[in-house]
Amino acid sequence: MEEEHSYANDPEWASVTPIPLDDGSDSGAMPLATIAYPPEYLEATSYLRAVMAANEMSERALKLTEDVISMNPAHYTVWIYRAKILFALDKDLIDELNWLNGVSLKYLKNYQIWHHRQVLMSSRTHFPTLPPKELDFLMEMFAQDSKNYHVWTYRHWLVRHFQLWDLPQELDDTHTLLKADVRNNSAWNHRYMLRFGPRDAAEPDAGLANAGDMTTSTADKGRLPVVDEELVDAELKYAQEQILRAPENRSPWWYARGVLHAAARDLEEWEGFVGMFVGDDGAVKSSHAVEWLADVYAKSAGGERRPRAVDMFTLLKEKYDPIRKNYWDYRIRMLDQVAV
Amino acid sequence: MAEPRFNTERHVKYYLRCLKTFLPTLYTSNDSNRMLLAYLTLSGLDVLGVLHSKTTAEERQGYIDWIYHCQVPSGGFRGFPGTDFGLESRTTENEVWDPANIPATFFALVNLLILEDDLERVKRKECLQWLPKVQRADGSFGEVLGPGGRVEGVRDLRYCCCAAGTRYILRGKAGKGLEDVEDIDVPKLVSFIGACQTYDGGMAESPFRESHGGHTYCAISSLDFLNRVSNDVKSVPLLSFGSKENEALLAWLVSRQTAKISESELDEDGSDTQDEQSIDTIEADSRISALPDIQSISADTILYAGFNGRCNKIADTCYSFWNGATLRMLDRYSLIDGDSNRRYLLEKTQHMVGGFGKGIGDPPDLLHSYFGMVSLAFQGEAGLSQVDPTVVTSKRTVQHLESLPWWQ
Repeated sequence: MEEEHSYANDPEWASVTPIPLDDGSDSGAMPLATIAYPPEYLEATSYLRAVMAANEMSERALKLTEDVISMNPAHYTVWIYRAKILFALDKDLIDELNWLNGVSLKYLKNYQIWHHRQVLMSSRTHFPTLPPKELDFLMEMFAQDSKNYHVWTYRHWLVRHFQLWDLPQELDDTHTLLKADVRNNSAWNHRYMLRFGPRDAAEPDAGLANAGDMTTSTADKGRLPVVDEELVDAELKYAQEQILRAPENRSPWWYARGVLHAAARDLEEWEGFVGMFVGDDGAVKSSHAVEWLADVYAKSAGGERRPRAVDMFTLLKEKYDPIRKNYWDYRIRMLDQVAV
Repeated sequence: MAEPRFNTERHVKYYLRCLKTFLPTLYTSNDSNRMLLAYLTLSGLDVLGVLHSKTTAEERQGYIDWIYHCQVPSGGFRGFPGTDFGLESRTTENEVWDPANIPATFFALVNLLILEDDLERVKRKECLQWLPKVQRADGSFGEVLGPGGRVEGVRDLRYCCCAAGTRYILRGKAGKGLEDVEDIDVPKLVSFIGACQTYDGGMAESPFRESHGGHTYCAISSLDFLNRVSNDVKSVPLLSFGSKENEALLAWLVSRQTAKISESELDEDGSDTQDEQSIDTIEADSRISALPDIQSISADTILYAGFNGRCNKIADTCYSFWNGATLRMLDRYSLIDGDSNRRYLLEKTQHMVGGFGKGIGDPPDLLHSYFGMVSLAFQGEAGLSQVDPTVVTSKRTVQHLESLPWWQ
């Protein structure tokens, strides 16, 4: 039944004159990127053009958008049109979310689906607070792909929109995902945002803490205006624990660098911890520790530890990270140019 | 081992098939991106140096006419003819459903340039007047204008890059004849881009999101587009050699090169332990000593090294381009290992029917084919034209742009 559906034969659509696709060939143009469209798509979109041209806000138009979305979820106006109909007809948005869940699980890599969800969720009238099952559904999405960029973008937006900074489930879910895969850089990034993101609702999109503008000095950029030293210590400890689980995992090493920078504390602070990964006998437990030491030595006052920085860069270049040979050579050359 | 070879004839065949026959039904979900698909096809043939020998002047005129067919009466271009319900049906009430689209406008202009059109029929002023309306208060750009003139679309750097590119093409060096046209807010755009740099040095789609190779490219190409037509962007820290921002960005970019080119290699570096113990400093020493030493990496394990888009992901053909092009714009391309990248592309993702796939064993598609090829062009692969990393067309095409009246 469903497969044989044709708008042309459907009494519900009898009053509508479809607008066929005008690909320009009638006027002598030669269409580019032509696609072997299935006939169902050509028919559905010809009715879509007709209802859009009439600005029709109706149940049948809503159903039609669903049909078009099932064949082309990246169509950029059909989603805006659908959202407008939903609000115009005062539809139950929870039903819409339930439908969207299925679409989201089917098309994992799609921007529009998640933006549509955000548009709905932005309605304070419909969603004065976070709907109870929302975060659980996101975990269901992460079970499919725990690094799905669109889902993380949406989750980030949810945190800001509903001020979920201190909701225990936020940090717990992030921790659960890191427990399952300590290399999940998306989860690390989300944790950083939860811990150090600016919470000022008036300035929802400031970047790095205190990203500033063109006049902000490089040194101040990314520094927190007020530092909670206990929180910083706890996060550094968390990073150390995760480093011990997989010392070659880059994510927690860079997380720790970010934490130190936000708190205006130096890389030197970790020199003791990091040093334990690099033995005097040349035995190394993590290449990221070698890089960390190199950075500490490179900045040393008076340049006295510069030769040791060269040793570290050379270790990386020759033994532990030869893919970046050219980069380590560059770092060695740059040592001479650092103002001391 | 046979010398890896760029199979020019096969690639030409692949692109000609994409140009002259229908793309498979699978592309239906990409219908709204036809202007982008057209760009990947035309520019692919141009980079291969055969666009003019394998198409007739009549065909090229037909393509030009199709691109203009996608121009919206109020200025700017639609992404595909599918939203067009015809001039006679278009009213001020319904035109919102057939809007000009930011990426499509950029790609339409680039396509016209590749085809050596003079842009005479482009509604230049109308298009430039529309651009600032699609810019948000925070400096970022949306995709289209929706009902009530609202800026629609996700908040991300792709639109910033396409908006800056459109401005670059249509405004030109002197902005001739545009004295009465309001410009976009350049300082705000620059601030937004700067705010997208993350704690690890890369750039995210928007502030505080995860750093990503594609968005990093968009950030730097936006700045480069702004820079090319005016000098006020030069002092931005991200572009300033030796600044913390620039150094962090470089470190992040070179870290994208990886010999992990299939999923099975991802967790191979061992010593993962699921048990979490709270760390205490006295114990730390003994726990670290108990860890296995890492082994030095031998040359034969890094013969093939492509690029990933994010930390701890596997290589993907298009990121050889996104990260590589960014390094080119920053004038630091020599920091990558070109040989292993070339081997990865030629021996692992180049497809026997022509074109490139996303990863090992994947079928070719237009996007990965084009970006795989351009990555090789950056490395001077024989038979490929020189490519401009910002406009991402042959340098010939950029020279054609610079010959237009408002560029004089």
